[in-house]
Amino acid sequence: MSKIEEVKAMVEAGKSKVVPGLVQEALAEGNSADSILQAMIATMGVIGDKFSAGEIFVPEMLVAAKAMAKGVDVLKPHFSADSRPSLGTCVIGTVAGDLHDIGKNLVAMMIESAGFDVVNLGVDVSAAKFVEAVKENKNVTLVACSGLLTTTMPAMKETVQTLKSCGETGFKVIVGGAPVSPEYAASIGADGFAPDAGSAAVKAVELVKG
Amino acid sequence: MIIIGEKINGSIPSVGKAIAERDADFIRNLAKIQTDASAAFIDVCASVEVSVELETMKWLIDLVQEVTDTPISIDSPHARTCVEAIEFCRKPGLINSVSGERDKMEVVFPVIAATKWECAALLCDDTGIPKTADKRLEVFGKVLEKAEARGIASSRLHIDPLVEMLCTSEDGINMVVEVIKKIKKEYPAIHVTGGLSNVSFNLPARKLVNQAFTVLMMNAGMDSGILDPTNRDLMGMIYATEALLGQDEYCMEYIGAYREGLFGQKK
Repeated sequence: MSKIEEVKAMVEAGKSKVVPGLVQEALAEGNSADSILQAMIATMGVIGDKFSAGEIFVPEMLVAAKAMAKGVDVLKPHFSADSRPSLGTCVIGTVAGDLHDIGKNLVAMMIESAGFDVVNLGVDVSAAKFVEAVKENKNVTLVACSGLLTTTMPAMKETVQTLKSCGETGFKVIVGGAPVSPEYAASIGADGFAPDAGSAAVKAVELVKG
Repeated sequence: MIIIGEKINGSIPSVGKAIAERDADFIRNLAKIQTDASAAFIDVCASVEVSVELETMKWLIDLVQEVTDTPISIDSPHARTCVEAIEFCRKPGLINSVSGERDKMEVVFPVIAATKWECAALLCDDTGIPKTADKRLEVFGKVLEKAEARGIASSRLHIDPLVEMLCTSEDGINMVVEVIKKIKKEYPAIHVTGGLSNVSFNLPARKLVNQAFTVLMMNAGMDSGILDPTNRDLMGMIYATEALLGQDEYCMEYIGAYREGLFGQKK
């Protein structure tokens, strides 16, 4: 097995203690930092698919993402400030009036491991705060809004519409959460929808690259 | 949880018969299924007359070691048999057991002192099973004193606080829980063990009592148990309890055991 294959296998198995050493070894063998990063991103894609298919559980996805993060730490010094490949910044938060945190954080984690820089605004985030974050952060390519309550669906609608009419451009809006359907997402003007964390990462990449 | 597989015990009728008839395949199979079910030790108890106990032990231990590398738990009420059976074992295991009775500790401790053998110790003495927590802790004090004198680290001891049958107990398992908590507080590295099925003797639907008992004992600090690892419900209960007690980061042990098929739906 090549070193890169070993890195991928250990990220998938969630072996946080083993991954940094293997990444070092892969670098020492002459693999570029970018190729190692891409390999780990691909592995997280596999993890996301397995999660969406119900083959793995949340903790298994969590430990894989943690293992990847440890590997990325080793790679960081090898990327200069602007050479680091990134899909841009994703601003994420749970909409106003809604305090659900866990699902949104899983999505944040998966989107990060797909190659985005993530700005996590937390919960109960007003439409104005979303807009502010889009303006303050560099290269925002994606805004992700989460809502878990039927009663906060109007807040999601308001958020999406405020974002779309705020004057800033260059970013797509993705929404999700238990009561959200693809039809509802389209009806409020969102660019994309995903039913779970694994699909969210895939959809995010698709929207931004697309 | 350190799982000591209990299935090879001559006092179980089918096993007693296999021993009497020298049915080697029967014994090998018991060793194998317990290994597959992740036992940390395979308990071997001949439960025959003293005059033939050692040779029976050798026969059993040889068979177990033909099919598994899992260490042996030498189970005999006779300390001398335990000590003499050590030479049959390829790697260090568990002596099951000593207690405050007679010279048991004096027979076993010197022999295992400079080895990696672990030892189970029952909290009873020549006066029987003490009725109060204080008295049991007194026996525990003696066990620890004698072990320390021989340089046996507390992490090599599995203390069995001796649980009474629930059907005749006056306070459930409260007294034993008190004993466990005190022991674990003072000696965190020590193991607390016990049989997980005796408590329900003579009650209907024993399985439920055994499972509830396991959870409560683990909550008190039990981290070792003599049990049937092929009992899927019990194994699931143990892994779930470890996760609930915060002893299983990200539930990965629970999920891993499930994936290995130790419990849950049969694959």
